[in-house]
Amino acid sequence: MLGLLATLPWWAGDQYQIHLAALIAVYWILVAGLNLVVGFTGQLSIGHVGLLAIGAYAFAILAGRYEWSPWIALLASGSIGGVCGLLLGLPSLRLPGFYFAMATMAFALIVAEITLALGDLTGGGVGLAVPGFSAPFDSPAGFYLLLLGIAALITWFTWNVARFPWGRALVAIRDNPVAAESVGVPVFRMKLAVFVLSGITAGVAGALFASLQSYITPDTFVFELGLFFFVCIIIGGRSSIVGPLVGTAVLTALPELVAPLAKLGNLFYGVLLLAVVLLVPEGIGRLFEVLLARLRPERAASHVLEPDTERLAAAIRKGRDA
Amino acid sequence: MLGVIVTGLAIGALYAATALAYNVMYSTSKVLSVTTGHLAMLGGVFGAWFVTALGWPPLLALPAALVVGAFAGWLTDVIAIRRVLKRSDEHLWLLSTLALATIVQQGVGLWWGTEPKPFPRLLPQDFSSGIADQKYWLPIATTVLMALALELFYRRTLYGKLFIAMSEDTFAARARGIETDRIRSTSFAIAGALGALAGFAAGQLTFAFFALGLTLTLNGFIALAVGGLGSNVGALVGGAALGLLNTISANLIGGEYQNTVSVGALMLILLLKPEGIFGARNVRPV
Repeated sequence: MLGLLATLPWWAGDQYQIHLAALIAVYWILVAGLNLVVGFTGQLSIGHVGLLAIGAYAFAILAGRYEWSPWIALLASGSIGGVCGLLLGLPSLRLPGFYFAMATMAFALIVAEITLALGDLTGGGVGLAVPGFSAPFDSPAGFYLLLLGIAALITWFTWNVARFPWGRALVAIRDNPVAAESVGVPVFRMKLAVFVLSGITAGVAGALFASLQSYITPDTFVFELGLFFFVCIIIGGRSSIVGPLVGTAVLTALPELVAPLAKLGNLFYGVLLLAVVLLVPEGIGRLFEVLLARLRPERAASHVLEPDTERLAAAIRKGRDA
Repeated sequence: MLGVIVTGLAIGALYAATALAYNVMYSTSKVLSVTTGHLAMLGGVFGAWFVTALGWPPLLALPAALVVGAFAGWLTDVIAIRRVLKRSDEHLWLLSTLALATIVQQGVGLWWGTEPKPFPRLLPQDFSSGIADQKYWLPIATTVLMALALELFYRRTLYGKLFIAMSEDTFAARARGIETDRIRSTSFAIAGALGALAGFAAGQLTFAFFALGLTLTLNGFIALAVGGLGSNVGALVGGAALGLLNTISANLIGGEYQNTVSVGALMLILLLKPEGIFGARNVRPV
């Protein structure tokens, strides 16, 4: 699958399709981290676009104005995103569901406000030009391959997190925090760690996003973009990685390929979110699982237990002798 | 300085009215709906449309806007709350009301346009009256009347008592024969009408603007959380304090940091007194 995606630059019809694929990869880098927060831990963050904006501006300022190497600026953007995630998470993750969602939304609005206000640093409403990466990643195809590599790395990482006891603990926090705490899951620390991780991926995604767009203004990072990331995960399905991945790809590509949907824009995402929440709250990924199970009913596996008579006899003999 | 205070109180009145609408819905359903601010936005936009586009007199446009708001509130319950409350997952109502709020906001944006449009004058008054202008005292007076009417409603009418019974314990209320589903729908319709009334009264201050809903949802919620969830006095005090804080800070350090200041105040209050100034301390559910 990854190999097939890696050859995309050679069979894609035009440059625009490569750009679209690169955009999906950038979004996915953020959504993969956010997925651990929303899909696994159940913390409904609708304001991650704020962290994306911070990463993008950090990269634009460091690599553009101060002419740092893009690679170091990329690392710095990730770290700044992580630090901002920590600062946002420390107070807000203690709050219950609706309060937390409002706090993240407010964070996104605050970031938008500050990028406009600090005109000297961020260029204000005019925006900033963003440098690209050095060769061989300076062409659209090369940059796409770089994005694909980072996206694959992060997917692999989140998949590992989800698969091991860590991920189980996150799901336990989502389903019942009190029960999770009672069996020894450090609830707040886990939430915070995952949130900081999502901040790092959002910062990295922001840097790559800025470089991909090559020019950023505060209008690039509207609140609705944060809602879009959120919708991708909810529609894809909870505690799944493939679901949100497919959700991100489809939702990014669909309005670009079907022109009437682009005009409706966020209305379309709203309708989709409402339909999914009301009809299949577990996400569309779950729907496929159910359909598959209907189509191919699995036979109940039969287990035949054979008593290990020799060992049993030996044990009895040993007990009798003792 | 007086001008700053009056403006702050007028904006604060709008926040307080939104917080009151939150409270009405919260009392019967324990749901904080993301659509609350959008109800006020609908009141403003439809009020402006009725008067400027259709040429109705304000006395006719006001009840019409209230009907639109009440209908939107009722629809919120039917679409986003009723089915969702039957499941036990507590996050779902947040998602469904968020989706509905997005639909309403973007729908209005597509239909009405994304530019703020002026709201018509409601009373004959020339523009030279300064801080005695109707755009300041109309929202303040409306919100105070609204709070008084709600207080009377809760204390003196049977329906109000049903609301209180449901806010204490929905299951017990249902066991005593109260039709909880219908009461909840009613409360959402009432909240919708109240929100629309506030949006209509404050229309000259805010203009008829499609993105107002999200701002109000946030600021009304901040007013509510500061004042104390479920308390109407808290909603009034929180709204007024937030409005004053907004305009005074805008006057001192510039208007660019409005959200930063209000959210900072919210975080401070929540750290010091998590249940809000007038809120009841909830026992932690296990």
